[in-house]
Amino acid sequence: MSTDLTPPTARSDAERGEPKPKVKAATVWLDGCSGCHMSFLDIDERLIELAQHIDMVYSPLVDPKQFPDHVDVALVEGAVSSEEDLEKIKRIRKHTSILIAFGDCAVTANVPSMRNSFSVKDVYQRGYFETATRRAGVPDQVVPKLLPQARPIHEYVPVDVFLQGCPPPADVIYGLLTDLLAGRKPNLTEHTRFGR
Amino acid sequence: MARQITIDPVTRIEGHARITIQLDDAGAVQDAKFHITQFRGFEKLCEGRPFHEMPSLMARICGICPVSHLVASAKACDAILAVQIPHTAASLRRIINLAQLIQSHALSFFYLSAPDLLLGLESDPVTRNVFGLMREHPEVARDGIRLRQFGQHVIELLGNKRIHPAWVVPGGVSEPLAPEKRAEMLAALPEVTGIVEKALEQFRTVFDQFREEVQTFGRFPSLFMGLVNDDGGLEHYEGKLKVVDDKGTVLEEGIPPARYAEYIGESVEPWSYLKSAYYLPIGYPDGMYRVGPLARLNVATSVSTPKAAQEFAAFKQLEASGPVLSSFHYHYARLIEILYALEKIDQLLNEPDILSDRVRAHAAPNNLTGVGVAEAPRGTLLHHYKVDKNGLMEFANLIIATGNNNLAMNRSVFQVAQHYVDGEKLQEGMLNRVEAVIRAYDPCLSCSTHAIGKMPLRIQLKAPDGTVLDELVRDSDGKRG
Amino acid sequence: MTVPPARIRTLTIDGKDVGAREDETILDVARENGIWIPTLCQMTGLSNIGACRLCLVEVAGSTKLQPACVTRVEEGMQVTAHSDRLAEYRKMIVELLFAEGNHICSVCVTNGHCDLQWLAQRLEIDHIRFPYLYGKRSVDASHERFVLDHNRCVLCTRCVRVCDEVEGAHTWDIMGRGTNARVITDLAQPWGESTSCTSCGKCVSVCPTGALFEQGKAVTEMVKHRELLPMLLTMRGRQR
Repeated sequence: MSTDLTPPTARSDAERGEPKPKVKAATVWLDGCSGCHMSFLDIDERLIELAQHIDMVYSPLVDPKQFPDHVDVALVEGAVSSEEDLEKIKRIRKHTSILIAFGDCAVTANVPSMRNSFSVKDVYQRGYFETATRRAGVPDQVVPKLLPQARPIHEYVPVDVFLQGCPPPADVIYGLLTDLLAGRKPNLTEHTRFGR
Repeated sequence: MARQITIDPVTRIEGHARITIQLDDAGAVQDAKFHITQFRGFEKLCEGRPFHEMPSLMARICGICPVSHLVASAKACDAILAVQIPHTAASLRRIINLAQLIQSHALSFFYLSAPDLLLGLESDPVTRNVFGLMREHPEVARDGIRLRQFGQHVIELLGNKRIHPAWVVPGGVSEPLAPEKRAEMLAALPEVTGIVEKALEQFRTVFDQFREEVQTFGRFPSLFMGLVNDDGGLEHYEGKLKVVDDKGTVLEEGIPPARYAEYIGESVEPWSYLKSAYYLPIGYPDGMYRVGPLARLNVATSVSTPKAAQEFAAFKQLEASGPVLSSFHYHYARLIEILYALEKIDQLLNEPDILSDRVRAHAAPNNLTGVGVAEAPRGTLLHHYKVDKNGLMEFANLIIATGNNNLAMNRSVFQVAQHYVDGEKLQEGMLNRVEAVIRAYDPCLSCSTHAIGKMPLRIQLKAPDGTVLDELVRDSDGKRG
Repeated sequence: MTVPPARIRTLTIDGKDVGAREDETILDVARENGIWIPTLCQMTGLSNIGACRLCLVEVAGSTKLQPACVTRVEEGMQVTAHSDRLAEYRKMIVELLFAEGNHICSVCVTNGHCDLQWLAQRLEIDHIRFPYLYGKRSVDASHERFVLDHNRCVLCTRCVRVCDEVEGAHTWDIMGRGTNARVITDLAQPWGESTSCTSCGKCVSVCPTGALFEQGKAVTEMVKHRELLPMLLTMRGRQR
């Protein structure tokens, strides 16, 4: 599994002495709480430095609505919990060179998996019948159907890098991105763990 | 032939959402809906867990405002313990709650909405984001980053972790405040207070350029709800619920959180995973109310810190009489609240007993039910738990800030769509306005779904039976396909 | 009557020449020589049962892997405690424990103080390659002072052994087989109704995970005092 983020074109450009094109990055949020995205923002002013090497082509933080045809690196937060999550992760995998399972929900399904010991029907029952005062019923228009269980990403598509933590600390995220930019394969278990 | 415009996902908000705009045969907007597409089932998945785990478990509802959930949850647990927590513990919880208000408001204002305000709603969607802001207005971007950093750092100093700290616990907090940490917070306050004051000056003129938006950005009569303290002043941690109508008439005040069920109902919308809260005595949908920064300043009669009190007076001048009705002013209210939070943290850090080591009350589950309410950055947040005699969770009902705003957000989307979307001409800037009104509410959708993928913007021509007859697609470069 | 002195044996572990008494296990000798072998069910002061299989080692001349905690040293033994094959097996064992239980580290009372979590990190496990079972497991909070969370139990039986061998109450035991196996108190009664339990808390302090913890502990707050058992046994003057 290659985790070298320098695109082949970049290498030849560099040989010709031309500036290196930016790495196309995406961040995606499936069934998570956005805490991993927030931890990414917690790199604070280093964001500005990172923005010089990375082109954020798709993310909750920017506006384009379509996952591009080619993304060099995608950070995917959250478990796969609905039919829509599943469609998304398949599409992301197809168009991404390096897919990072971003945080415990993506890696282990974490807290969202706590619904797995209940049936979807029971989960709906509590959310849309027992706690509703009006028009009780399961939402079924436009919203995606829940899968029977919330499960980690790698059970559906191959994952290149697993970044653990709830959320992974900002310094570890920054270290991972700079490692990848430099073409290094980091050993993440030195710096983070399940539930960190 | 009725047509439908879908915006998916809604970006630069915190969560998973989609907007559909229904057009009639003439191309006029007939209906617009805001759909929340994520559901995790926290009200169920906590069942069988020891209630002491709830603050940290419920924090995982949201990575943006985990502290609000920690606080509301811990307060529900305090009620189950049937204890009054030590004064110092309450003050420390207040500080961490305000620190989160600062970081969350900074995120909403500077990272998510400022690109619209400064780069323009018609600007290129590819650069209309925080990264574009860094290029065009590096100072503003840096200020936003610094403010959020300060809030996050205070959370880290207290809770030893920026996101999902486990420090807020049933009965209080798990460790007292160390003197050196207090000194560090106090030392940073003047600088960050300066940043907010500068931003307030700068954006006053920016806000003036959005007169049309002020009139059309969710400017409609509604009720407003929020916590107020015993003096009727702005409050985020304790206090009672107050509800006012669009004229400013007080419908109800002094509502103890434990009696919420007499006043707040929740309706299921078949097209969204987010339930809509409404004011029960009036009913659905007229019982629509708004919460959050705008609502808090509308229900409060005073603000207890000097600089914020001056801004509060200016805010009250926005309408000739009665509450401020335009959702566009959520942005301004947010900046005022950041200023208040900084001043309030300063006051709290100077309390004589703030360094006391008496910060936790211990008890068994003495009540089998507990309700906790706090003001999250986005508005009133309520946790209601029932436990068995051993303290294992049997039931949870969570009413989340964004659920409180759901009806108002849908009304706002409809209003903006009617004003700006013309079915004959589809322009990105128009559609961004529809999204921008949602951004004004700063909905925390990961919360509301305690329960964002991306597709191109699609316009679908749908036959009455729902089959798609024709489809227009706009890809991420803004090109029409 | 005098006990004859134990005879000395010489062997190699990972190529290193080491000496040992004849009554020692491979694990004892490895530890004396600063060679780390991962363990989970083993605990100094309790009997060794070789249940978790994490300490399996290769012994030259045998095709079978041997659990180091219950294998006596022999003269001239050539032990391999670290190889790619062993690392892979150890990883698999820990991953299977994660896949079988419901270990939600982020919201666990022992987050940051857990043997299983620490082992995963030490063995460089960054994800679980086996499909999670997500079985329905319960929590018994009926005891006044302690809680049993079956979701976090790895069936190491340290609680069973400490209660039997040290406290002498034998409140704990195991019932069921395979994935249905679980620890029970008395005859599978709620812990709070146990008539044999002395509420001494030894089981809680030896439990490697968040399966046994004190009432009222919030997430990350349960720190296990591993030093209690050896200290207690020393004071009683019968160190095993």
